[in-house]
Amino acid sequence: MENKILEFNLIKKKAEQKIKWGSALAILGVAVFFLAGEYGLFGVLLFLPGLFFLITGNIAFKKLNNRFKHEVLTDLVASYVDDGVFIPNQGLSQSQVYSTEFLKRADRFHSEDFLKGSIEGVQFISSDVKLEEEHVEHTKNGTRRYYVTYFLGRVFEFDFNKSFDGYLQVLEKYRPTVKRGYQKIKLESVLFNKKFRTYTTNDHSAFYVLTPHFMEALMTFEQENQGNVGFSFIDNKLFIGLSNFKDTFKLQMFKPISDATFKRFEDELLVIKEVIKELKLNNNIFSKE
Amino acid sequence: MNTLVIVFIIIVVVILFPIFWYIGTMNSLRQLEVKVEEAESGIDVALTKRFDVLTKLVNTVKGYAKHEAETFENVTKWRQGLPKKLSLQEKQEFMQKMDAVQSGINVAVEAYPELKAEKVFSNLQKSIADVEEHLQAARRLYNSNVSVINTRIVTFPTSIVAGMISMTKKEFFEAESAKREDVEISF
Repeated sequence: MENKILEFNLIKKKAEQKIKWGSALAILGVAVFFLAGEYGLFGVLLFLPGLFFLITGNIAFKKLNNRFKHEVLTDLVASYVDDGVFIPNQGLSQSQVYSTEFLKRADRFHSEDFLKGSIEGVQFISSDVKLEEEHVEHTKNGTRRYYVTYFLGRVFEFDFNKSFDGYLQVLEKYRPTVKRGYQKIKLESVLFNKKFRTYTTNDHSAFYVLTPHFMEALMTFEQENQGNVGFSFIDNKLFIGLSNFKDTFKLQMFKPISDATFKRFEDELLVIKEVIKELKLNNNIFSKE
Repeated sequence: MNTLVIVFIIIVVVILFPIFWYIGTMNSLRQLEVKVEEAESGIDVALTKRFDVLTKLVNTVKGYAKHEAETFENVTKWRQGLPKKLSLQEKQEFMQKMDAVQSGINVAVEAYPELKAEKVFSNLQKSIADVEEHLQAARRLYNSNVSVINTRIVTFPTSIVAGMISMTKKEFFEAESAKREDVEISF
């Protein structure tokens, strides 16, 4: 493994150098083009190779990241997750993501880093998801179309076998996207009500699922994970959407692959374990008959 | 516009606004009262469910703890005499008695560890945990609704309407731990 990491670091460094030199040449080229007057054309001669290095460097980095996921992270997943399956080039399908019922339909959808398995007997699937909305701007010079990312982060789906009537959603900023006759309710915890909006089709079920301990655990999850979070309990599934604007399993540029890198990825996997333990999804009540 | 018409409109608004406000406030208080009643019936359902499972559990334990059978019998007999319409106070007492039965069962389990191995018993224990969660949920929902209506009843100007329709603060459903000590059933 150590040799492999050394090899990865070597390739990574080369790609990063290409990006570094490429950026420097491109910036210099632009500066020369605009500032050097009659010698401005030399700027183009600097800019083009700079652009070339920048593009090839980025492609090399992407390839390396992909190799790292396939050759290293799959093993890491296997050591943390029972029957763990990690498919970097795949993600949750659109229907799986919209099953959360609080993520609205995107104009541009992308998902990757599919993760599947079970921890402490609780089945789960997850992936990184990017949702973008198309914006159209009409100006004097014509129409401009651009995309705004409104969700970038992870979506999880856990088995939730505590059966109850109705539907329940606990959302930080989102709103239910499916009309099921949801009503907004308040629970006893003032802090919880400040942090989350609770929507349910059955008051009793909401209080049944959201025990004081469960509310505490949801608040802890929110505090420990930056970003905008939503929980929905639909048809024996618990969906969690965490928009933290992070590409979870992406290598960081200009930082060598080290123990810290592995620690970061392990922490991402431990989030799943924490959810299962803190929300007591492995509890007897939640287990399948 | 004619001054008379303006004066007429002002008078109508001044008279109608309090009437509409009164009706609206009264309706919302009544709706909240219905929600409290619904939540209370939720407690009834949960209490009955808990009693049913507890009775089955008691019957399972009886086989092991023969000398305690008589006490268990008293519990099941007591159910027959249970009035259909219970006051909140009586419901609280009922719940406390069931708590006592439950802790009695726990003591029996300590004394007869082989009980844990019984499939029927472990299933019933699983059920009772779930039923207890339902009861807690019903209690919390009830108290939450009571808290909402009580806040409105004491808050001005809603308090005026509440007073006019003789609506008083509702009682919370609380199982006070001190009262549990008074429960006679023991093992």
